[in-house]
Amino acid sequence: MASAHDGSAAPLAVSARGLVKQFGRRRGLDGVDLEVPSGAFLSIFGPNGAGKTTLLRMLALLSRPTRGELSLLGVDALEEPDSLRSRIGLISHKPMLYGDLTARENLRFFASLYGDVDEARIDELLRLVELDHRCNDCARTFSRGMQQRLSIARALVNDPELVLLDEPYSGLDPHAAELFDELIGRVRDGRTFVMVSHDLEKGFAMCSHALILARGRVVVCAEKERVDAAAFRDLYLATVGTGVS
Amino acid sequence: MSRIENERVCAKGSGGRAPRALAQYRALLAKDVRQELRTREMLTSMGVYALLVLTIYGAALAQVGDKLQVVSFAGGLLWALVIFTSLLGLNRSFGHETESGCLEGILLAPVDRAVIFLAKATSNLLFLLAVEVVVVPLFFLFFLSGAELAATTPLIAVPLLVGTVGVAGVGTLLSTMTIETRGRDVLLAILFIPVAFPLLYACVSATTCAFLGVEGTMGTFWTSCGVALVYDVVMIAAAWGLYEFVVDA
Repeated sequence: MASAHDGSAAPLAVSARGLVKQFGRRRGLDGVDLEVPSGAFLSIFGPNGAGKTTLLRMLALLSRPTRGELSLLGVDALEEPDSLRSRIGLISHKPMLYGDLTARENLRFFASLYGDVDEARIDELLRLVELDHRCNDCARTFSRGMQQRLSIARALVNDPELVLLDEPYSGLDPHAAELFDELIGRVRDGRTFVMVSHDLEKGFAMCSHALILARGRVVVCAEKERVDAAAFRDLYLATVGTGVS
Repeated sequence: MSRIENERVCAKGSGGRAPRALAQYRALLAKDVRQELRTREMLTSMGVYALLVLTIYGAALAQVGDKLQVVSFAGGLLWALVIFTSLLGLNRSFGHETESGCLEGILLAPVDRAVIFLAKATSNLLFLLAVEVVVVPLFFLFFLSGAELAATTPLIAVPLLVGTVGVAGVGTLLSTMTIETRGRDVLLAILFIPVAFPLLYACVSATTCAFLGVEGTMGTFWTSCGVALVYDVVMIAAAWGLYEFVVDA
C-alpha cells in the first residue's frame, strides 16, 4: 500500500484502499491506496490526466469512487458523506465566489450553509486574509490574488479539519503566491492539507509528505524526510514524460 | 489576526451541528434574489425578449386586420411567449453558479441536494412570475384591448400560475443537467419541449377555454388545470428525488 503514514500512533486523516474511478472505458483512478496521518501536508504531483483532480474531488466528496474504500477523519466517507462535509474545505484554482456579491456577503452566504452565521468570525476571516478594508466591495472587482485570498476565507468558514488545495497557484503572480503561502502557513496548525500541484519546487517545499500519481496509480508516496529530493525530482520528471493515463 | 494565528480560525460551533434545511433554503434563495436584483441579468433579458416577441406578434397580426379573431388563438400566442421567455431565463439561471465554480462551493457544504433544487426552482419561479406580471398586461393591451373579452378571462391566471410552477420545476432540473454541456441553450430547449409537452398542452387548452368563455368549455378548463396540477406534482416530486443524482453526476 502506498502510504505516507510512518506507522506511529497518529490517527489517519485519509485512508483509501483500492480507489477506482471509471469514466466510460477510461480509468481515471486505478486502485489507489493512500494513508495520510492527521496534521500532515500531502502534496500530490503528476502529469496532466494522471488522476490528481479526480482523487481530490473524491476526497472533497464531490465524486464517488466506482470501487474501493475511503475513510476521512475516521469516518467512512462512502457511508456517511453528509456528516463529513462540514469538516472538509476546498480551495481550488476556481475561486468559488459570486462576483456580484461583496466579500462579506460571499462569506456570510457560505457560512450560512454550514450553520448559524457568526459575524465576528467573518470579520476575523476577512482580517486574516487582509481584505477587511474591501469587505463591502463586490468580488468581481478583486484581482486574482485577492480572489484567491477570499477563497481561503471561504474555505475556512466551517473551520475544516481537512483542507484540500487544487492547483491553488494557478494564475497567481509570484507576490500573490507568496501571500498565499503565508496565509496557508498561518492556518496550518491542527489541520491536514492535501494539495494537488504542478509546481514541484513549491509543492515539495510546503509538504510533509509527497506523492506522485501517474496513469491513475500511485508511483510513490512517502514522508518528505525519508525522501531524497533530487531522486524524487528525477522520478517526477520521468513520470511527467510518461504522459497522460 | 493574532488570535487566528494562535488558535483555530473559527469556533467549532456551527460546523459540527446539522444545519437546518429551512435556513439553507432561505440563504440560497436570498442569494439568488440579491444577485438578480443587483445584476438584473435574467429579468432584463427575459423582459426585452418578451417585448421583442410582442412586437413581432403585433407586426404579423397588423397585416390581417380584423380577418382573424385573436381571442380564439390568444392562448397559444400567450404560452409561446411565456415558454420561450422562460427558456431564456432558465438558461441564465445557472450562469452565476458555473461562472467560477460556485456550484461546487455549495455542493461541498452539508446541504441536502433537494434543498438546492427547491431554492433554485423557487427563485426561477419568482423571476418568471415577475416577468409575466409585466408581459401579460402588455399582451392584453396590444392584442386584446379592442376585443370583446369573456367574463371567464381572469381565470387565465390559474393555468398561468400552475404552468409557471411546472416550467420552473422541470426547467430547473433540465438546466442543471445541461449546464456543463456544449450548446446548452439549444439542448435545454430540445429536452424541455418534449418533457413539458403535457403541461403546455393542458395550459394552452385551459387558457383558450378561459379566453373563449363559451358555454360547456369550463369543464375542459378545469380538467386541463387538473392535468397541469398533477403534472406539476409528479414532475416536481421526481425532480426532487432525482436532483441528487443530476447535480452530483
